[in-house]
Amino acid sequence: MHSDFLIPQTIDGVAVGEHVVPQTAEETAAILADASRLGQAVIPVGGGTSLALGNPPRGADLALSTRALSQVIDYEPTDLVLSVGAGARFGDVQAVLGEHGQRLPLDPAGGNDATIGGLIATARWGPLRHSAGTLRDLLIGIAVAHPSGTVSKAGGMVVKNVTGYDMPRLYHGSLGTLGVITSANFKVLPRPRAEATLVTEYASSAEAFETATRIRDSGGPVVAALEIDDGNHWLLATRIEGRDRTVRAIAERLAGLAGPGLALEQDESAAWWQRYVASLDPATAHENVTIRFGIRPRATSALVEGLAPVLAALNTRVTALGATPAVGSVLVRLEVRDGSAARLAEVQRVAVDLAESATILAAPPGWKQGLDVWGASPAGLVVMTEIREQFDPRRTLNPGRFAGFL
Amino acid sequence: MNRDQLVERLKAIVGPGAVFSRPADLLVYEYDGSVDGAVETAAPTAVVLPGNTAEVAEVVRLARAANLPVVARGAGTGLSGGAVPQNGGIIIALTRMNSVIEIDREDRTALVEPGVINLELSEQTLPLGYFFAPDPSSQRACTIGGNVAENSGGPHCLKYGVTSNHILGLEVVLPDGSIVWTGGRSPGTAGYDLTGAMVGSEGMLGIVTRALVRLTPTPDVTLVLLAAFPDIETASQATSQIIAAGIVPAALEMMDNLTIQAVEPAYHAGYPMDAGAVLLIEIDGIEDDVLSTGEEIAGICHTAGATEVRSATEKDERDLLWKGRKMALAAMGRLSPNYYLHDTVVPRSKLPATLKRVEEISQDFDLPIANVFHAGDGNLHPLMLFDRRKPGDTERVLLASKEIISYCVEVGGALSGEHGIGTEKRGYMTLVYTADDLAAMAGLKNSFDPSGLFNPEKVFPKGYMCGEVRALRMQAMAQKHGIYAL
Repeated sequence: MHSDFLIPQTIDGVAVGEHVVPQTAEETAAILADASRLGQAVIPVGGGTSLALGNPPRGADLALSTRALSQVIDYEPTDLVLSVGAGARFGDVQAVLGEHGQRLPLDPAGGNDATIGGLIATARWGPLRHSAGTLRDLLIGIAVAHPSGTVSKAGGMVVKNVTGYDMPRLYHGSLGTLGVITSANFKVLPRPRAEATLVTEYASSAEAFETATRIRDSGGPVVAALEIDDGNHWLLATRIEGRDRTVRAIAERLAGLAGPGLALEQDESAAWWQRYVASLDPATAHENVTIRFGIRPRATSALVEGLAPVLAALNTRVTALGATPAVGSVLVRLEVRDGSAARLAEVQRVAVDLAESATILAAPPGWKQGLDVWGASPAGLVVMTEIREQFDPRRTLNPGRFAGFL
Repeated sequence: MNRDQLVERLKAIVGPGAVFSRPADLLVYEYDGSVDGAVETAAPTAVVLPGNTAEVAEVVRLARAANLPVVARGAGTGLSGGAVPQNGGIIIALTRMNSVIEIDREDRTALVEPGVINLELSEQTLPLGYFFAPDPSSQRACTIGGNVAENSGGPHCLKYGVTSNHILGLEVVLPDGSIVWTGGRSPGTAGYDLTGAMVGSEGMLGIVTRALVRLTPTPDVTLVLLAAFPDIETASQATSQIIAAGIVPAALEMMDNLTIQAVEPAYHAGYPMDAGAVLLIEIDGIEDDVLSTGEEIAGICHTAGATEVRSATEKDERDLLWKGRKMALAAMGRLSPNYYLHDTVVPRSKLPATLKRVEEISQDFDLPIANVFHAGDGNLHPLMLFDRRKPGDTERVLLASKEIISYCVEVGGALSGEHGIGTEKRGYMTLVYTADDLAAMAGLKNSFDPSGLFNPEKVFPKGYMCGEVRALRMQAMAQKHGIYAL
């Protein structure tokens, strides 16, 4: 069930030297140790759905594909735990879980073609984060190949575990800079028995956000996701998941709160969200720039309201926008006229002041020169640099791509 | 710097009333909730109770200059010796830093100091419709800072997740005396997940001085089911079947007959005295959902062989059913003067076999073992009942522990689900982790605390983190990387 994705010739404009496809975790570690000794740069590649993320690497001597590490290692449906190779395609993993009425509740852009290892390394999420969190909260064990030539494991196959430090969380979102994830264990969840979505339309973003807040305060735990999208109008989409009767009861309550709209059930509901997530996929942005803002949830509405005039003054145009108000996440796709490195830097200077974080998820490689796409240098960069030093002293893995050019 | 000079310097930082150094005052700080005999103790040189972050940082800088270990401590309820100093040094007790600084209803967060007591936070937020989900049994006494250090669980983490799932950001004093904020209110913070690395690090990476925690909305309706079974095996089968049916209750707890014998006469919770085991199952959410799920669970229990299933929705009734569970450890005094417990975790489907093995071990060592535990998570709490005054009893308990732990690891389990490794279980770490696994953890430790100032002699096996071992490891790594000029 491996990914069919072919390794690209360049990573963010940097030419790839060789391709390697290790067959085991140990072989992966051996390749990393050799590369480290030779001073080579290694770019780990999964499904290739998120290669635009990060700063351009300082080198790309080797592109290391995890595609051969794609087996389901252990799946115990009655225990709700799964162990799977990092190269397994997310869509295939969901299909295996689906046969037993289970799932990993995660719906990131490009999700089905992404690999498990890639999703962990890039800490990706989608609208379901509203109710389900991220893989960080489901990861119960991990195996990682390091540039020291070793493979380390942490956690296990039980759902609750404080045996030693919580290493899986350290690797989640570390963009492969501490090692190449070779397998991961998850706590999986029962697939909800029913779902429905209500899509309503509003004249202003403020009205949409107010409704979202009302729904959230009334909704209890079954309101799975709230999204605001201004493809053409201000749309508010609310997804409900749960048992049949519950979903119907909540849907009725919702209609009263949100007003009349498009009511979708079961497969239609799921398909709506798939289309929506795909419409904001950074990987399909091409000559556009995708920025993800992070802000405290209560300020999401003000951020969205304030964005348009500021961005317009920079001679850019918002071509898509999606927000998850309860999370404080806003994804914006921008057309930057007369794009260049200097122009992107100008947009970033303004963007970082608008929210607590502003990450450039995708931009044409040439425009990324000289700026840190992760935004302002993170608090704790000194400790982060030490962590990188301990795990990858010669900066073999993804050199320069991570926050603070780590 | 001699001891008197050190004490004077500490008093200058935190005030004369917030430093203890007389042997009688220090005695209590040689202990925590762990069992004497399972954990070695060593007296601290001094105990300080700082009043704010800046004072914590200054004490750390002083300790560093004096080359004295630092051990952070909350309420001292830990069960693995995590707050017990091994090499003396300075204990930083955070109990005076106990303000709830801010409760934000809109963002559903609270900003708290580390000394805030777990239950008191929920008591403050309940009138607003929120609670702090982690609920360890010690929640009346334990602090949020301690919960962060140990990544505490509790009955309700089956549905709501452990402490780590509820911590959004931390203010931390690092071993070099610097102060750093990790994480925060917004998603997508750049860089490594330092918050995730800090939670559960047992005070070895940094000292938490503020925590931004997630608040959870209180459910509309809560239902508690009490199901009685003829024996522990049918009860564990029912547990597996509930989970396998795709139901995740808020809590799913088991008590065996020995526990019922201790608890029922003390609290009259209404557990049938002749039951081999009872399950306490809580479901919460919106009314419709809760009632229909309750019916489904009752059906599964009956099919599995339950002799009786009762349900309670009113708060008083629910509290009474829970009282027996929450006070179970306290009731053990009725059966024996001392108890010692472990908190291994096994895959849920391995529960029946594991409990059978525990019963065998109980017989082999002629040691009564009561089981009261988080069945839904597979998190055991075998309580070995003994009398430490009787020669040989403590030794037998430790030998039986070893048997239980070894079996749990054999069936794919973990050493600890929520109590932590501390000094108590460090000797068992090599049962589950290889040298390479431990080296990665040591890498994390070294990046925060290269000189091993914070909470030494914890988590890693004895001798693992000492200077020589580290030097050898560094040398080996350097050679691997072609660097020879060390």
